[in-house]
Amino acid sequence: MIRESLNNIWMLTKKNITLYIRKGPVLIFGLLFPLFMIISWILGRSITLSQIFIGIIAMTSFFTSTAVSPVILPIETREKSLERILSAPISLNELLLGIMIASALYSIIITSIIAISFIVLFPIVLITTPLSLFFIFLGIILMGILGSLLGLLLSAKRTDQTSDIMVLMNLVKFPLLFIGGIFIPLSQLPAGAAFIYYISPVTFLTELLRSAVDQNSMISSEINILVLCIWIVVLFIINHSIHKKTMPMRFSEIGGKQMKKMMMMKKQ
Amino acid sequence: MSVSKKIAIETFDLTKKFGDLTAVDHISFKIAEGDIVGILGPNGAGKTTTIRLIIGIFQLENESRVEIYSEDLTNSPKELKKKFGIVPEVSNAYSDYTVWQNINFSGTIYGLSKQKIKDRANILLNRFELKDKMHAKTKTLSKGLKQRLNLCLALLHEPSILILDEPTSGLDPFSVNIVRNQILDLKKEGRTILITTHNMQEAQQICDRTLIMNRGKIIADESPDNLRKKFKPSSILYFKIKGKLSSEQENELKSLFHLKTEPNNHMSVITNNPLEDISFLNDYVKKQGIEISKFNLNETTLEEVFINLIKSDSKLNTEDKK
Repeated sequence: MIRESLNNIWMLTKKNITLYIRKGPVLIFGLLFPLFMIISWILGRSITLSQIFIGIIAMTSFFTSTAVSPVILPIETREKSLERILSAPISLNELLLGIMIASALYSIIITSIIAISFIVLFPIVLITTPLSLFFIFLGIILMGILGSLLGLLLSAKRTDQTSDIMVLMNLVKFPLLFIGGIFIPLSQLPAGAAFIYYISPVTFLTELLRSAVDQNSMISSEINILVLCIWIVVLFIINHSIHKKTMPMRFSEIGGKQMKKMMMMKKQ
Repeated sequence: MSVSKKIAIETFDLTKKFGDLTAVDHISFKIAEGDIVGILGPNGAGKTTTIRLIIGIFQLENESRVEIYSEDLTNSPKELKKKFGIVPEVSNAYSDYTVWQNINFSGTIYGLSKQKIKDRANILLNRFELKDKMHAKTKTLSKGLKQRLNLCLALLHEPSILILDEPTSGLDPFSVNIVRNQILDLKKEGRTILITTHNMQEAQQICDRTLIMNRGKIIADESPDNLRKKFKPSSILYFKIKGKLSSEQENELKSLFHLKTEPNNHMSVITNNPLEDISFLNDYVKKQGIEISKFNLNETTLEEVFINLIKSDSKLNTEDKK
């Protein structure tokens, strides 16, 4: 039973990676957007190398992890392939995990390549211990999972248009990024304003990276990891309950115009 | 329905509401193993919603229940879903996957081994004449080929129940013929088939039983032949005689049949038993030394029955409201 479930999850993950990572919205919001944002943030500013590393890793991780998961359900609703999945012996959890893992892997691989390149290029400035490396990659993995769950949650909106979800995604993503401690570190904020930062999960990634890179974090690594894990568990539970409700509605076809038409037919 | 046959699908009080609209309204029916049952109905009658309830896409509401081979669908949905092969109206294969990738994906999620997938794919691709399209992207296939691929995907795991949602809708006559013949072949293999269609001719040709739905309810549940007999029983038999009937012969025929004479020796008879009446009429006129040169039977079609039923149901509904 477990083997069958794992097999299903892996097949779905493979399918999601193969079919969706080259889609326009994924490339735009997952790669181009963070690239230009990072460039405009770095150019003309005196930022330390460690801050640049933290900023690049946090932004890349957050943008890439939230790029794939929101597009899958709208596309599959439009192309009717979601109906095929739901009529097959696949549970809702397997379906959600297939999307989550694909999106997280996309983020983890891209962010890890950037992190490794940075570490190789600037070894002395950044890394002091193997534990630091462990925290960096653990942070990348946790944010990969967290971001993909966040994207998945927003894709619960009943639509077959990726643009609808991407607009919603940006509305959520940018505020979380701006209060995520990348542009202004938590340590530089007045005590009263810091609480806003705690709303964003990105804060706990940047703080985890900060503690790993220059041991200058306001929050301990353990707390950062714990908070990111809590975010993941909570997001998965919310995802499950919301998608359980909204998934069948994707096939009702009795939304909008169709509903009005049928109500009119009934009245007649 | 034979008593000895197992019940493949049984629905109890199936209901589905979308807000104020009741798309499926407390319907119950049984489908015996090996039968082809057609669900007919106008647009918005609740056919597709009924299917989605049976295959577990929509959650069952209140007292609604679906049993597959006497097992409750909600108790073991994953295992019971393996008994279904589903052919949708519109292709739902992954358009960016090749035919083979789609088959491999489907086979794996239905728990088939790699070797089994290869073996089944080989059989089905040959059967549906798709072998040369194996490495073509699904999006490059014509609608007819896509529907054949859907049949391949539905049959890959050898399901005992096949559910087809308007499988020939929008196909060219050649593809329609292929799909219909395949459905009949599948019946010969003993599979239970539930099919929704708008096409009366199709229902008449392939279904053992038809459920006519309107406004979420089943308004008739009969074999196509019974439906025709029950709801519009009379057929008209047209014939032409060589020569002329005497007035006595004409009166005798009129006493036996509901006969109408028309110009140029044409006649018509309203009949409930066309075959018997043709034979009787033929024998009778032969004995009288008259020859019939032409017979033409205008049988009641399922389409006429369907239109009458829907009209009368809608009329009843309007009267009820008044």
